[in-house]
Parts: sequence; C-alpha cells; structure tokens
Amino acid sequence: MAAVVLNKVGKKYPNGFHAIPSIDLDIKDGEFIVLVGPSGCGKSTLLRMVAGLETISDGELSINGTRMNEREPAERDIAMVFQSYALYPHMSVAGNMGYGLKNRGVDKEVIEQKVNDVAAMLDLSHLLDRKPKQLSGGQRQRVAMGRAMVRDPQVFLFDEPLSNLDAKLRVQMRVEIRQLQRKLGTTTLYVTHDQVEAMTLADRLVVLNQGHAEQVGSPLDLYERPATPFVAAFIGSPAMNLFSAHLQQNKLILGQNESIMLECDHSFEGQVVWGIRPEHLEVTETEGDFKMRVKAVESLGAETLIYGAIEGVNEEVVLRLSGPHQPEINSNIELNAPQDKWHLFDANTQQRL
Amino acid sequence: MIENRPWLTFISHSVLILGIIAVALPIWVAIVASTHPAEAFGQGSVPLWFGNYATETWQTVLFSAAGNGVDVPVWQMMFNSLVMALGIAFGKIVISLISAYAIVFFRFPFRSLCFWLIFMTLMLPVEVRILPTYEVVAKLNLLNSYTGLALPLIASATATFLFRQAFMAMPGELVEAARMDGAGPIRFFFDILLPLTRTNIAALFVILFIYGWNQYLWPLLITTDDAYYTLVMSIKRMVSVADGAIEWNSIMATTILAMLPPVAVVIGMQKIFVKGLVDSEK
Repeated sequence: MAAVVLNKVGKKYPNGFHAIPSIDLDIKDGEFIVLVGPSGCGKSTLLRMVAGLETISDGELSINGTRMNEREPAERDIAMVFQSYALYPHMSVAGNMGYGLKNRGVDKEVIEQKVNDVAAMLDLSHLLDRKPKQLSGGQRQRVAMGRAMVRDPQVFLFDEPLSNLDAKLRVQMRVEIRQLQRKLGTTTLYVTHDQVEAMTLADRLVVLNQGHAEQVGSPLDLYERPATPFVAAFIGSPAMNLFSAHLQQNKLILGQNESIMLECDHSFEGQVVWGIRPEHLEVTETEGDFKMRVKAVESLGAETLIYGAIEGVNEEVVLRLSGPHQPEINSNIELNAPQDKWHLFDANTQQRL
Repeated sequence: MIENRPWLTFISHSVLILGIIAVALPIWVAIVASTHPAEAFGQGSVPLWFGNYATETWQTVLFSAAGNGVDVPVWQMMFNSLVMALGIAFGKIVISLISAYAIVFFRFPFRSLCFWLIFMTLMLPVEVRILPTYEVVAKLNLLNSYTGLALPLIASATATFLFRQAFMAMPGELVEAARMDGAGPIRFFFDILLPLTRTNIAALFVILFIYGWNQYLWPLLITTDDAYYTLVMSIKRMVSVADGAIEWNSIMATTILAMLPPVAVVIGMQKIFVKGLVDSEK
C-alpha cells in the first residue's frame, strides 16, 4: 500500500517531441486512479513512466516517499497488467504467476502457497497446469491479474487490460477488477480510452489531452462540472452537445443571424462554448427554447437516441430519452434546455465559466 | 486437391512415384553395389539386385582400414565427421544466439554497424577466405585438430540474422513483463528467450549439421593426419586411387554410412520440428 506522487513529471523524446510537458498528481494510498483520454494523449506513456519502462525526463516520481526515477521496474515494487496480457507462452499458469517471485529468490513452498491463494481468489485453481494458449481470453486476463497480485505489490498498473475482451466479458471483468481492488486496497493506476470503464472504476479520473491533465476529479464531478469543453465532450455517452455561442447582456445567442436567444443570468460577455447533455434536453408540447429536426433515431429499448439539427442554426444535436420513442424522420421536436443544466465555457481560454 | 477425378489422381501419383524413383534409385544402386565384388561395377552393367558379397564388403568397410591410401577405419572417420558437424552446428547456434541477443536487446554504440559487419560476412564463405583462414589456423597450430576443423566455420551471419528476426518478432510487452518480474539479462535469455526460440534452434540445427557434415574443401585442406580425416572427404580419396581397380563396393558402403547421420538428424529432429510448429506459442 502506498501513496504515489508525481511532481512536475514530464517526458521529452530524444527527437524533441514533448509527449508530456508536466503533470502533477497526488495519488493517495489505496486510491483507484484512471487515466483516460483519446489515443496519443500520453496516458500510456505516463503509466510506463511510473512503471519504469520509460525514463522520466523531468520532475520526480515517488512511491511511498521514496524517489523512484532511477530505479529499475523490478525494484519499484509495482506490478503491471498489459493490454496483450504478455503471459509467458511456454510456462504454465502457475509458472507465469510465480515467475516474479522465483526471480526474487522466494522459497518454492512460499511461491506455491501464494500462487494457490491468488488462484483461488481468481477462480483459477483448476487451470494452474494449463498453458496460456489453452485458456480463453477472460481466463488469460485473470492470469495476468493473478501474476500481478501474487507479488503483493505497492501499486498496480493496468494498461488498457480489457480492450481485447468481448463486450460482455469486459463488463464482468470490470466489476471484478473493482471488487478485487477494494478487497486488496492496493493503490491502482489504470489506463483506458473507454470513458465508461473510466467512470465505473475510478475513485478519481485524470482526463489527459495532448500530455496535459485537463481535469482531475471524481467521475461525477467530471460529469457534472467539466472544466473544459474537451472534458465535457469526452465524459458521457453520447457526448455532450456543444455549440459555439455568444453571451451578451444576459442573453445567450446561437447562430449567426441571432435566430435563437435564451435568457441567461450569467454576467460574462463574449464568445462562449455552450454545452448541454443529451439527457438534459426536455421535450415539450408547447413552444420550447428551440426546435430540432429529426434526422436519425436509435432505439435501444431502455432509451432512445435522437439525432438531428437545430432549426435555424444548422448545428447537430443529440437528444436522449428514456424508454422507446418513434418520432418521424424530418419531424420537428420542441426542446427546452433548462438553465441549471447548462455548461458554459469561455471560447478563448476554454475554461468553465 | 478438392476435386475427385480418377485421371488426376493417377497423374499426380505417377509424378510422385517418378520423383521417388529418381531420388531413391541411386541409393538403391549404392546399396546393391555394396553387395557385389569390386569388379562387378566396372564391367559396364549396373547390377540392380543384391549379390552375395555383402558380408565381405561390410566386414571390410566397418572393421578394417578404409584402404586406397586411407589408413583409418570408417568408424574413426565417421566420428571425426560427427565431431566436426556437431561442433559447427552447436558453435554456430551459440555464437549466433549471443550476437543476435546483443544486437536486438542492448543499446550500445555502433550497434547497427556491428550488425552490418556481421551481415557482410555473408559474402565471405570459407571458399573465398580459405587461404588467409588457413594461415591463421596454421599459425595457431590448429592443423590436424578438431578445433581447427570446426572453429573457422563457426561464425555465421545467416544464423545471426535468423535469430535477430526471431528476437525482433518477440512481443515488446513480453519483454517488459519479464523486466517487471525482475528477470535480468541472463535470466531473460535462459527463461524466456531460449524456450521461445527452440523451434528456430531445432530447424537451424538440422541445416547446420548437414552443412558441417558435408564440408569437403576445408577438412581436405587442413588435415594431413589420417586420424582427423572426415568421411565425406575420404570418399573422394578412395575414388581417386592411382593404380589398380577402384573398390566400388567399399566406396558405396562408405557412402551409405556417410548418408546415415544426416538422415538420422533430419528424421529425429523432424518430430521436434513439427511439434514445435504445431505448438507454436508466439
């Protein structure tokens, strides 16, 4: 169990590319931190720097108060679960799980005991003699986690561990990982590009964009109060509706010809990004804030996603309704956008207002 | 073939049978010839069925000196050949594994220069560098020794290149997982790399063993002592006898003996090789 502190950690490649300019992160003991962002945002690089697989060019990484920058991966007392699982194909499940302990000179009986304990916890006891290729994807995933758990490390690192599984298994493993982490209480860093995974697993989320931490906070925090339009668009599915708009004299003006004007009690004046989540738009029978012309409907049973354009502004908008609905294509829907659900960002600084 | 046409089956089988005959007939002739007296072969007709001279020929070949200027028995030459072939095969594999390991997994200055230098030696087989190599071996007092037979042939660009490709195909995450598990360079080499390249090693061993076994020019050049003659080169020596009849029966018997170890290696290793292919785990 350990606290992990990243102090102005940066990564610069020899060719001059600044993958990560500078990141500060204070991870508490036992916390589950998810690094999330689109591909190329530097989340895997950051994880690999904590692992010791990439060198740290700037700043300091410390685990439990000890500087780790120069330590070999094996000396950092961490364990990593890889995207491809990276199981040793020629070793049995037990061999895979015990290899790290064997290299540390742990007694055979102790290794066997630990492997058996972890295998029992992960429901792998009957598979210990199998080779990785004789296992299903979910079982391999479990073995990879078992290999990490056997060592009883200070920190778990996960690098997109569920992306090779099918949708159903992914949900199942997601729940399992969360339960195991709670039970073991091990500090965990988890990298994913899937925002659902991020939201469901994390104690705190770090949204990365081009090497910058856009926002750090609890999943609900990020959902309810995204700090930037990037976070707003990234967290939540379907993504938040974002429009460029103008705030003037307590009025929000959409579109060039000022076709839509909404009352707004915000004192800011100037260009803004106005956002509202698809689930917060309200259908109304009477005249609403604006009209939406239906272009496509996705019926998912429990909910319906309606894609369309705002009349008069020509901006794409998504509406999410619970339960089944069957609006006509090209029909108009009157919508209300309640002001307490608005997200307003300064268009210049990209910061929340 | 998915189609089931009688004439197609007939033709394909005929081709196969013809191929087998083409390959097997000379071997058959050699076996048959070893059962006839020496003169039978020189009379113009090639005997196609066993004679009654088999016991005498094989007794001579196996237990007395090979004759025709070669004063050691066949088994001694067979042993020499075996030592050389195994020495070359194992030596090449070990050296190439180590050099490929260094080139692929370690960052050191002039790494790619080293690789290309090794690669360039592909253009310098023994035949090209035979005189300087001879001089080096002679100055090291390695003429007429097993070391002299095997050592100069051990450096191998082909094998290094093959292992380099095999190592580079190793998934990066596997290497990293081993690092996280605390496997240092030596442990990684023996615990992960070797087991995962064993099929390549087996395949290469077959090729290299046959290469070593069939060496002709090099042993011919550096051995003057009969005790170090190899089988393949002495067959030639047995043929080129100055006067008197060539003892075709003994030569054919020796040829068959010379053929056996490579055949044994191919057949023996084939099992591991195929098993390795089926078990392919990478």
